[in-house]
Amino acid sequence: MNEVIARPRTEVSFSRSLRRNVSAYSAIASISLKEAFAYTSRVWVPFVIQFISIVVFIYFWRAVYASSGSTLGGLSLRQTLNYVILAQILVQLWEAGYIGLFGYLLRQGQMGLELVRPIDFQFQFYTRQLALLLYFILQRALLIPVLWLFFGLQLPSNPWVWVAFGISVLLGHAVVFFFEWCIACLAFYTTEVGGLYQTRTAVARFLSGSLVPLALMPTWLQAVTGVFPFAQAVSVPISLLIGITPLTEAPRVWLIQLLWVVGLGVLSRLIFRVAIRKVTVQGG
Amino acid sequence: MGRYLKLYLWFWTQRLKVLLEYPASTLVGVAAQVLSPAMGVLTIWVVVRQVPDLRGWSYDEVLLIYGLLTFSLGLSFIFGQNIWFLGQNYIRTGGLDHLLVRPINPLFQLVVEYYGYGGMDAALVGAVVTVKAILALGILWSPLKVLALLLSILSGSAIFMAFFLIPSVSGFWIMDSAISVTSVFYLTHQFAKYPLNIYPRAVLMMLTWLLPYAFASYYPASYLLGKEAGGLVWAGPFVAAALLFLGYRFWLFGLRHYTSTGS
Repeated sequence: MNEVIARPRTEVSFSRSLRRNVSAYSAIASISLKEAFAYTSRVWVPFVIQFISIVVFIYFWRAVYASSGSTLGGLSLRQTLNYVILAQILVQLWEAGYIGLFGYLLRQGQMGLELVRPIDFQFQFYTRQLALLLYFILQRALLIPVLWLFFGLQLPSNPWVWVAFGISVLLGHAVVFFFEWCIACLAFYTTEVGGLYQTRTAVARFLSGSLVPLALMPTWLQAVTGVFPFAQAVSVPISLLIGITPLTEAPRVWLIQLLWVVGLGVLSRLIFRVAIRKVTVQGG
Repeated sequence: MGRYLKLYLWFWTQRLKVLLEYPASTLVGVAAQVLSPAMGVLTIWVVVRQVPDLRGWSYDEVLLIYGLLTFSLGLSFIFGQNIWFLGQNYIRTGGLDHLLVRPINPLFQLVVEYYGYGGMDAALVGAVVTVKAILALGILWSPLKVLALLLSILSGSAIFMAFFLIPSVSGFWIMDSAISVTSVFYLTHQFAKYPLNIYPRAVLMMLTWLLPYAFASYYPASYLLGKEAGGLVWAGPFVAAALLFLGYRFWLFGLRHYTSTGS
């Protein structure tokens, strides 16, 4: 694959190749975005579904706090509700994975075609996932005022908190991306990916802290969540946004997330390099 | 009737053969899916045990509600999952033609063509949680309570299946998108995972008269525990029968509007 990219560089000047790369990747991003918006039912249905689960959670937690007193695990009802509402939205970062697409490309024998394209295979996927993140933000943005109106969702007014949160979400998104890549490479060995995907999703839902705030978990379970990358994309950014983690801690939080990104990034490239030798292009 | 029973068994055996052709894949699939309902149990385990009760429902009583609902839901997927794909795999592709030319009821064929073994996970988790809760609660059993439990499981899964069918019939007009409509109807069941008295009264009304998932969990659990709302448990079978009847009429109506594909 690397040879394919390297060859034209000898003839094309750096600025031209840069321009070509930018236009190639932005084309991928815009196609992914159009694809996501193509079916109207796929836009409004997740919205309704998300709203239902959030309402269920809100009343569940209100009932929990009704009998527990004012705080639970150091969190007030207001904090827990803010947390849970945002966590239900952000956990979608884990749900919109591409393991299924990987398996599809393999089974359909299209993986070969993808690999010979003169752009970096992994970066092509990353661009696609970034576009989906944008889609996801646009699609869910409407939930925020609705939840603010009906359930008193509170958001910080300090713009720096939002900046810190934004950076943390981007880093968390990259953590998800590289972790997903490592898992998706297993498809080269198994071809069938349905089970892998479901396992990953179910585990992520709990260990990311999207169902229960980490602070309310028993200490041993909190320790387990620290070993896995799941919380980096859900619990960590939300804790920054709603003030469980103070703003002064933000650089430390980013550094930890960055270490996850770099670690998983290197690992994912290594795994891919080994796994690619297993590729059998079906029907070829 | 006897013929259909025989056919049902035959279809079931064929499907089992398909699944056993790839035993490893099937097992991994089932094992992986167990995790999803299990995470809901884990949530209750972590949270509800920390507090004395959930608006009057103890930890084990909440588990009973969750278990009953999950079990009915699992059964409905095992037997009726294929209904979800009516619009996508039968109407849009014209595959429904196959079912219409055979001398067997087409809805019956739709149901038996595929068994959602994925439902086994929820059924399994639901059964384990229900049994655990029943043992821990030391319920005093009577023949009437046993009857109520069995009826509620049957009517609960029937209600789920009716709400697979009714929105899926919209696929005769909107094809693929029917699956989205079905999922909205289906996911409303999430309210019924917890005691319904934690929500505003409107939710209780909705889950009793509009999308009556309460008959799969809240009412039977209330009856078994001798709580106030228990009397309504006996309405469950009638509600389920009425919904199935309505669903079947709607299906026949949709079928008359089927135009197949191609020229």
